[in-house]
Amino acid sequence: MSASAIFVLDLKGKVLICRNYKGDVDMAEIDHFMPLLMQHEEEGLVCPVMSHGKVHFMWIKHSNLYLVATTNKNSNASLVYSFLYKLVEVFTEYFKELEEESIQDNFVVVYELLDELMDFGFPQTTDSKILQEYITQEGTKLEVAKSKVPTTVTNAVSWRSEGIKYKKNEVFIDVIESINVLVNANGSVMSSDIVGSIKLKTMLSGMPELRLGLNDRVLFALTGRDKGKTVVMEDVKFHQCVRLSRFDSDRTISFIPPDGESELMSYRINTHVKPLIWIESVIEKFSHSRVEIMVKAKGQFKKQSVANNVEVRVPVPSDADSPKFKTSTGNAKYVPEKNMVVWTIKSFPGGKEFLMRAHFGLPSVENEELEGKPPITVKFEIPYFTVSGIQVRYMKIIEKSGYQALPWVRYITQSGDYQLRTNV
Amino acid sequence: MIKARLTLFRLSAATMPYLGSEDTVRELRRALCNPNVQSDQLRYRNAILKVIRAMSQGVDVSGLFSEMVKACATVDIVQKKLVYVFLCSYATLNPELSLLVINTLRKDCQDPNPMVRSLALRNMTNLRLPSLVEYVEQPLTAGLKDRAASVRRVAVLGWAKLHNLQTNSEIDAAVVNELYSLLRDPDPVVMVNCLRALEEILKEEGGVAINKPITHHLLNRLKECDIWGQCEVLRTLQRYRPQSEDELFDILSLLDASLVSPHPPVMAATLSLFLSLCPGVPAVSQAALERVRGPLLATCGSVSREMRFTALCHIQLLLRSLPGLMGAHYKRFFCGYAEPAYIKQRKMQVLVELVNDDNVAMLLDELRGYCTDVNTDTAQAAISALVSSCVILCGLGAGHIGRSYSDRCLEILIGLLGLKQEHITSAVVQTMRDLVWVCPQCSDTVCLAVEGCEETLQDGQGRQALLWLLGVYGERVSSAPYTLEVFIDGVRCEASLGVKMELLTASMRLFLCRPAEMQDMLGRLLHYCIEEETDICVRDQALLYYRLLHCGIEETRKVLQGRRSDPSLGVLIGRPAEPISQWACSFNTLEPLRQGAMETESASRGSPEHVTFDPKRNNDPSDTLNCGHDEEALHSGSDSAIVRTDSTADVLGSSLTVPLSLSVSPALSPEEFELLWLQPQVLHTEQGPEKMKADKDCVCVEEHVRCPEILHCSPQSLQAAMQLVNIQTLAFTPPHALPLRVYLYTHTQRARVAVTPHSTLILGELLYTGEGNQKVGQVDGGVVVVEGREDEQMKEGEQATADGLSGRDTGRTDREQDGVKVTLKQHPRDENALKGFLSILTTVLHTLSSESD
Repeated sequence: MSASAIFVLDLKGKVLICRNYKGDVDMAEIDHFMPLLMQHEEEGLVCPVMSHGKVHFMWIKHSNLYLVATTNKNSNASLVYSFLYKLVEVFTEYFKELEEESIQDNFVVVYELLDELMDFGFPQTTDSKILQEYITQEGTKLEVAKSKVPTTVTNAVSWRSEGIKYKKNEVFIDVIESINVLVNANGSVMSSDIVGSIKLKTMLSGMPELRLGLNDRVLFALTGRDKGKTVVMEDVKFHQCVRLSRFDSDRTISFIPPDGESELMSYRINTHVKPLIWIESVIEKFSHSRVEIMVKAKGQFKKQSVANNVEVRVPVPSDADSPKFKTSTGNAKYVPEKNMVVWTIKSFPGGKEFLMRAHFGLPSVENEELEGKPPITVKFEIPYFTVSGIQVRYMKIIEKSGYQALPWVRYITQSGDYQLRTNV
Repeated sequence: MIKARLTLFRLSAATMPYLGSEDTVRELRRALCNPNVQSDQLRYRNAILKVIRAMSQGVDVSGLFSEMVKACATVDIVQKKLVYVFLCSYATLNPELSLLVINTLRKDCQDPNPMVRSLALRNMTNLRLPSLVEYVEQPLTAGLKDRAASVRRVAVLGWAKLHNLQTNSEIDAAVVNELYSLLRDPDPVVMVNCLRALEEILKEEGGVAINKPITHHLLNRLKECDIWGQCEVLRTLQRYRPQSEDELFDILSLLDASLVSPHPPVMAATLSLFLSLCPGVPAVSQAALERVRGPLLATCGSVSREMRFTALCHIQLLLRSLPGLMGAHYKRFFCGYAEPAYIKQRKMQVLVELVNDDNVAMLLDELRGYCTDVNTDTAQAAISALVSSCVILCGLGAGHIGRSYSDRCLEILIGLLGLKQEHITSAVVQTMRDLVWVCPQCSDTVCLAVEGCEETLQDGQGRQALLWLLGVYGERVSSAPYTLEVFIDGVRCEASLGVKMELLTASMRLFLCRPAEMQDMLGRLLHYCIEEETDICVRDQALLYYRLLHCGIEETRKVLQGRRSDPSLGVLIGRPAEPISQWACSFNTLEPLRQGAMETESASRGSPEHVTFDPKRNNDPSDTLNCGHDEEALHSGSDSAIVRTDSTADVLGSSLTVPLSLSVSPALSPEEFELLWLQPQVLHTEQGPEKMKADKDCVCVEEHVRCPEILHCSPQSLQAAMQLVNIQTLAFTPPHALPLRVYLYTHTQRARVAVTPHSTLILGELLYTGEGNQKVGQVDGGVVVVEGREDEQMKEGEQATADGLSGRDTGRTDREQDGVKVTLKQHPRDENALKGFLSILTTVLHTLSSESD
């Protein structure tokens, strides 16, 4: 791993906070970061790793901050980036928003966190749930040497403290699937996949044992059952609380959940999905005079379901003017700063088809600059429905005190990276 | 309440900039020393907070060190942390005062609260003061046995820090033993920290000993570790060599789950371990690579751009050995509209590798879409990618499919010319030039296409490429003379040196095949260049051509009509898959990410005669050069007809074994050069013709290059020749001065050999000392630099002047001893690269000297 030092910079490259972990790279080297970045930007070859002499900068950008790790070793790049993203995650959990302002306001906590997250260039305690037990903003409150030892630091169940109590024991399960689609200009689906995640909001007392049952095809094949729809999941990622050995042996998802909100698992399904909202577009550009746009949107999902807050974003030339719209439903708006028309449909029932026409004027003097061909993008949300057909079959909650707890399940399908390329 | 205080704080911080930094420090000191503040814990802590804030803002508050030392004796843990942050930042400036802190720290190590203990221990070692080592050792030893895991974690790494502070001092064997035994600590982080610490402490011995019990212990506990720990363990285990095949396969099956881990770093670390555990079992490595395909592709779709980029770079590595690995998944490498340029370019490089009969139609269409990208670099990369795939298709042979799709490729390129966009036209013309060099069968189409595109070409690179095409294929482009006429008429206002040189050559070449149309304007051009042109290079070149024409048309033809193409380069396409071991050791490090960065570093490119075109690897404009092909590189330069390769087969033969490329970027300023050059060097000049003195990361070499004939070339032509092979000449001594010196530098990069150091900087000095180099005990007669006009005089036979000038009489008699003393410095040391460089340099010098025969 070996990151020598970590820096948080503002957009101008000024160091907001830094921490020298190894002392083998001069801290002044960071002064080269911004000039290097500018130089690369000018050449159009920005790269997440930049070098000045023997020092390598690995950086990510988050809102108005640069997080930079320096090293002079041939270190493991993916691990360093993972760590930088971990930093973002931890800071965000502490301050809600990670930005220049929140770093300035909370620099004491940031120093404390940097101290715990890494030592001598090696990541140490990076779980924000554990960190929150002994580094708190209330730490600014005067408290004479808190003598409470954070049990979780050495606890067997490091993600959950003991002695949690709720009056009403409940678990909320959200199954969220995002669809990524790329459709060619001639209407063929180039690639599509589903990225799903199961999120928990746990409000349970004590140390409960949970078991989650899904309609996982591998599980059904294992147990010999073969009825109903099943799902093949790929790239399944679990929260550290899930006992992977049990999942590997008999596909049981069993765990002691962290308290509060957490992502239990994520998965990817790499199948050919029928695009749930299909867009046909005709964009005709008459040089020097006008652009005519016709967009047809069709809901290719079950009639009982309804897509909410549908937004179809259609690109228009940057020099277009005097917009005119006609829609069969919803309303269209021209967003000149993004060079697009946004057509919003509050509720879009399955099987229906809607139409939008737009007309733009073009100046007689043509824009010399070549413009890219941005795709049409679509945003939507369909509740009570999953594309993959994944279902929570049961959630068993067992705690030694024997209380009854209620699981609540909610399904949502939403658009992910949903792009349809256009001809113009 | 807290919020209110924070706002208050921000206000006071905001007022600070009005005070100078000295005033700020004074103000802060007053606050810290105020007994009233000190007695009120809240106020005291706030005062300290102000100090830390000032420190974060870059104010030098080191003057408050003694006040802050006093502040560290407190029960308030947050205040302690803040003071420690301060002390660790400034301790090295105040080693004496830091001694005062040690007492407090040592007392804290006895504190009943483990948090206080670990804090004290960590900061004790973070002070980085060698003078404090003796006070730190005892608490660290105690810390290893502490009952709280958090303290043990800190103590273990503390020893590594201590060792880092005094690398030469031996760490007590008892401590090392203790660390080994802590590998069995119940806390997984303590275990992993032990590994890390032992790796650091035992670096000299090759790191922590990895034997069978340790290996099995680590493997069994792998699951308990977090992803950082797992990666560390997996990396350390790479050194393990299983004793039997059974053991090997047991380990592999144990690791199988990690191989498809959803965490990319763990997956990559496991793959790396697989590759190093069984280098002798290619089937296993291959199976492992196929198994990681899924997770790797998933990482390519990761939300984080940086992770996507890293995955792409590593996929490029894998493809070197298993070109077919991703074939079916080419759609995963299609670029999204909003992706950053560095990802798009990598994806295109991968896409080109994946071209095959089944997907070619789709791929070409996709690449065509990228050619109109708004980012000009991406567009250019896409155009080069198109050409590369075109070359590959040509290379697929005379097969019908390859043929028809390479036509399709050209069709797309020609379509792009129709867009009349400056940067696109320029990129297309440049790539077309490269294309005909490798695939001469495309030349007919290209000749038709280039007509009329001079109107949209603005940049020097593009126009140079067009001129080259017009010169070489002029007889087939009907409008060629008219196009050249426009250029010749505008030569007065031409700013680019390269374009002028290319124009001269192109006009000469065209004159040879279409004399009637060209004669008049060639005359005008030569007249202008000789009489009015101020640039010496252009003038020299024009003069050369002028004299050449005097020698007769046949002579001229012999010199100017070199090769038009080099289809042999196309052979590179069918390059066999590399063994995995070639890149296995650089897998999962920073290197693959940086390699690509270097290849894309520069956007300048010369004529194909000068740069080898390697479509598989250099998909983007690159000025790195493979010395294995410097015969081509040197072949009949169009902007410097002075350079010609003579038979240096032996030199080339030896250099072929060292795949090495040179690059002049990043550029080195004369100041930097001087600094590096003058760094203390120990050279024993008495030891013989070749001697070396090596530091740990730098090497100096002296060598005598025998020049069979004295070099009569202008500094400019030497410079031009060097530049062809990507060696930058930095300074010359004035003409006629003795000794003559030339300073030069280059960066070497060992292509594809994944050993560190992979990239080195070479600085060099060519020295001709004049009459009799007594020191070396032989007569050096080699002249590296003679002024340009001297060159002309000699041609006219007035060699005596030159003889007198350079003391060549002696040199003549003993021609074998003629030599230019070459002194080279290399950082870091890499002898093979150095040898490769020397052979290139020798070739250039030989070429130059034989040219002037």
